[in-house]
Amino acid sequence: MAVYRRSRRHRFLLLLLVLTSITAITLDYRDGGTGTLESLRQGARDALAPLQNVASDAFEPVGNFFGGVTRYRSLQRENARLRAELEDARGASLAEEGAERERQALLDLMRLDFASTIPAVAARVVSTSPSNFQHTVVVDRGSDKGVAVGMPVVTGAGLVGRVLEVSETRATVRLLTDRSSSVGVRLTGSGEVGIASGRGAREPLEVEFVAAGTKVAEGEAVVTSGVDGSAYPPEVPVGTVKSFSTPPGAISQEIVLEPAVDLGRLEFVKILIWGRPGR
Amino acid sequence: MITDIRFRLPVALLLCLLVHTTLLPEIRIAGVMPDVMLLAAIAAGLEAGPSYGAVMGFASGILSDLLLPTPLGLSALVFTLVGYTVGLAKAGLLRDSPVFPVAVAFVASSAGLGLFALTGSMIGETGLVNAHLATVMLVVGITNGILVKPVLRLLRWSLAGRPPERAYAE
Repeated sequence: MAVYRRSRRHRFLLLLLVLTSITAITLDYRDGGTGTLESLRQGARDALAPLQNVASDAFEPVGNFFGGVTRYRSLQRENARLRAELEDARGASLAEEGAERERQALLDLMRLDFASTIPAVAARVVSTSPSNFQHTVVVDRGSDKGVAVGMPVVTGAGLVGRVLEVSETRATVRLLTDRSSSVGVRLTGSGEVGIASGRGAREPLEVEFVAAGTKVAEGEAVVTSGVDGSAYPPEVPVGTVKSFSTPPGAISQEIVLEPAVDLGRLEFVKILIWGRPGR
Repeated sequence: MITDIRFRLPVALLLCLLVHTTLLPEIRIAGVMPDVMLLAAIAAGLEAGPSYGAVMGFASGILSDLLLPTPLGLSALVFTLVGYTVGLAKAGLLRDSPVFPVAVAFVASSAGLGLFALTGSMIGETGLVNAHLATVMLVVGITNGILVKPVLRLLRWSLAGRPPERAYAE
């Protein structure tokens, strides 16, 4: 029976690997996502992309089985098409409702529909995040198509999230439900603004900083606020109010928001070629 | 034989990576997927001892970091420590019971995920330590426990004919 001992050799190897890891973490922070390590990351993602495509196709039947999806491919394609149509219909409805106030007050002359004047790149979702902590998806468009970090991502139904990382052929999108995600929003009824934050996969969003006396209604549409410096363009549907309450003595309401987009079933998205004003 | 290992080990690691990034994200329980990259480090420690566990942990961690929007080196640091510790634990607790690898995979996976979240929070990553963390640790522990046998078999194949760890006694 082999019995391993804590030897100097083992400890030296461990120390070496630990120090290398810490050095990598430090350099990554210092680079801030722009240096050599980020280039290494982008290169690795691009290099692995073809292999992942092949593996994804190969594992699809197994994934479908375990995911409880046992339908024929043709039926899946049909469902995907129907879902896309439904998303578009929901988006049109929400966009109309959400834009009503601003359309009348500020954008009447421009006749803007939801993000229709912003150039966009259509992309297919190729994988979800292989992580238990981040809620992201990877799409098959990257910097070679003009995609850059920070760009908003939408479907016909509304806001999906924001580009977090980009390589030449791929982009990682942080979903609204990610716990690190926050977006400035506006209640369409009152015009009050707040911050919607993610609470994890399959969880609704939480809206903060809406004053306690503000009139809110269940089902009320909530759109991006688009205030100065916002990371998102205005009037993009974010979701609808699921519930709201004001704890005794609180100065702001606790509003729960159902995302407009079904983030668990993303297949196609649009990346808006839009930069933060003034950036 | 060394040449064989140098070929087989990367192949095993790449296979784990492809399964981890393409298949497992579709198989989630309570929104949580198994972590086969962490499991590769645990299996290497179980199969070949602390040095191999640490090296495999570093390699699988770096590969994970390259694909995740977390700081490069965070997974590598945690997986290295987990692989090394499992290798040492094997020395102290080595049993031939078939339940032993499952129990080690459960404990090491849960602890590894907890360590990842804590270390990430310490260096400024947000959203890692929250009420959902306990669920993540539990589900990853259970699912990795289920998957440990096939991963051990893969690692056994890839590490066959390896040079022995220098610091061991028969």
